[in-house]
Amino acid sequence: MDILHNLAFGFEHALTLHNLMFCALGCVVGTLVGLLPGLGPLATISLLLPLTYSIPVSGALIMLAGIYYGAQYGDSVSAITMRIPHASSIVACIDGYQLTLKGRTGLALFTAGVSSFIGGTVAIVVLAALAPALGEVALLFGPADYCALMMLGFVCVSFVTTGSLLSGLAMCLVGVLLGQIGTDVNSGMQRYTLGLPFLVDGIGLVSIALGCFGIAEITKNLDSHEDRSPFKGKIHLIPTWAEFKRIIPSALRGSVVGSFLGILPGGGPVIAQFAAYAFDKKVSKYKHEIGSGAIEGVAGQAAADEAAARTSFIPLMSIGIPENAVMALMMAAFIIKGIQPGPNMIAGHPDLFWGLVASMWVGNCFLLILNVPMVRYWLSVFKIPYNVLFPAILFFICIGTYSVNNSLEDVLVTTGFGLVGYLFSRLDLDPPPLILGFILGPMLEENFRRALLLSRGSFGIFVTRPISGTLIALIGILIAWQIAVFFLQSQKARAVPERSA
Amino acid sequence: MNNRNLVKGLFLVAISLAFGLGSLRYPFGSFARAGPGLFPLLVSSLLFLVGTALVVRALLSERIPIAFNPRNIALILTSLIGFALISERLNMIAGIVFMVFCAAFAGTSYSILRNLKIAGVLLVVAFAFQKFLGLQLPLY
Repeated sequence: MDILHNLAFGFEHALTLHNLMFCALGCVVGTLVGLLPGLGPLATISLLLPLTYSIPVSGALIMLAGIYYGAQYGDSVSAITMRIPHASSIVACIDGYQLTLKGRTGLALFTAGVSSFIGGTVAIVVLAALAPALGEVALLFGPADYCALMMLGFVCVSFVTTGSLLSGLAMCLVGVLLGQIGTDVNSGMQRYTLGLPFLVDGIGLVSIALGCFGIAEITKNLDSHEDRSPFKGKIHLIPTWAEFKRIIPSALRGSVVGSFLGILPGGGPVIAQFAAYAFDKKVSKYKHEIGSGAIEGVAGQAAADEAAARTSFIPLMSIGIPENAVMALMMAAFIIKGIQPGPNMIAGHPDLFWGLVASMWVGNCFLLILNVPMVRYWLSVFKIPYNVLFPAILFFICIGTYSVNNSLEDVLVTTGFGLVGYLFSRLDLDPPPLILGFILGPMLEENFRRALLLSRGSFGIFVTRPISGTLIALIGILIAWQIAVFFLQSQKARAVPERSA
Repeated sequence: MNNRNLVKGLFLVAISLAFGLGSLRYPFGSFARAGPGLFPLLVSSLLFLVGTALVVRALLSERIPIAFNPRNIALILTSLIGFALISERLNMIAGIVFMVFCAAFAGTSYSILRNLKIAGVLLVVAFAFQKFLGLQLPLY
């Protein structure tokens, strides 16, 4: 009953006229920007972050969350209609685009919309039930445990996003090092500022995110010279009852898979989609159709995507540790607004927490009733040629960076990170772990120093405490497993040419 | 040198050295009372190890050439730097116009009329941001 009471309290806050407006605005703008080629959720959120500065706290958070899932929906639309994958919608390209080829775009979009709604609803129940409980567990965490948890997050994120543990881990570490730039909180000493006054406060997150995800992506698109033909097909949204019945079981399966995977460190929408898709391929009644344009192939992954996007808020809001790059960005937004996410957030700001949870469901409704029927108008975004679009995106990047501190030097920093981000992409290094490392770096250092202070300089504290000991053991297992896989693969690779010779 | 994995490893080693050698300038402290130099040194040592591992792996596996096209990235960076400098010296209107005209060279076709239209629309948007969202843009 507690949950119902709390949710009702949350809806009281989410359903005020102002917050409804911010939620709708976030969803619409998020969808719109998410549709643009080369702008995934990470770039969308960092681009639109400055818009929320002048908005009151609860409205700003609600709007940001709206931008996030709006961007995700926009992503899946571009994946289904034109097979433009962003990191967050790779799976939607498979069956969704097959359905488009069959002329069933409307069905695919409707399925994605409804499944997202189902996934979101399930995830909100999980979120409301689990976050407060996990928050109490988090109170048991000491500095050493926080350190171990963050390092586990690094390992998991590197593993999930790049598939190559070493490259991902390297990006996390580069992020941590970038986070070192600026004034050291403990000693007041300036580190790596090169004597430049605008580096004393450290590098802005928006600069890094827009450099690596905005500028680098635009340049990558320009390099590839692909003129994508806009979608011109007809869209017939309403499915038959038989088709509708096929959506539900698959979406429910996806919701459960997604909710679970969203909570784990390093988890989130991307891995949830793959897992749900694979799961449906195993157990669905129509598994022989999946891959060639089946409703299940769209429904399961869309529900998992949305569910994981919601439940990945759980570690952020209950423990205070973001588990992936998007959540790291959310955390930065929370902190800019003067809210420290963590065990004390639920108790200290119940109106914010429950308001945000409730607004997620409201946002879900907006996506369903606002964006799904309007999807054909959204698609006209693609009629704008890229030659017109990219100067406009550059403009928004400039204005977005500038308005964080009203500083043109920040624009130069962003430009620098554009170059770095482009180098990263050409060297096959994925920037999302870098963002996570950048946000977690200062926290990691703080907790690391505190843990060693408590143990008087002995590293044993990381192993002897039950929580951190377990987490460190998990890290060890993951790394050992990766090394084993690497050696087995290289042995196999060596064995094959020998046999052929 | 045209081996993506090798360059990647060397690049990361270079970053780790830059930060690691830099950290030696800061007081180290002891483990019980860590100074500002300790943590960056630890992290960059770790990065050095990872980078070295990548270099070793690259030397053992097949070469993959780098696809690097300096033209577009140079144009985009120039347009952004130009935007910042012109906005600082002159005003942001000129900065925006310069950015559009310079960046457009990176597109697949070039049209002055189209650039004028884009710049015009973006200026209207900038004025709207200034008026309605309260952003402080030094437009003129």
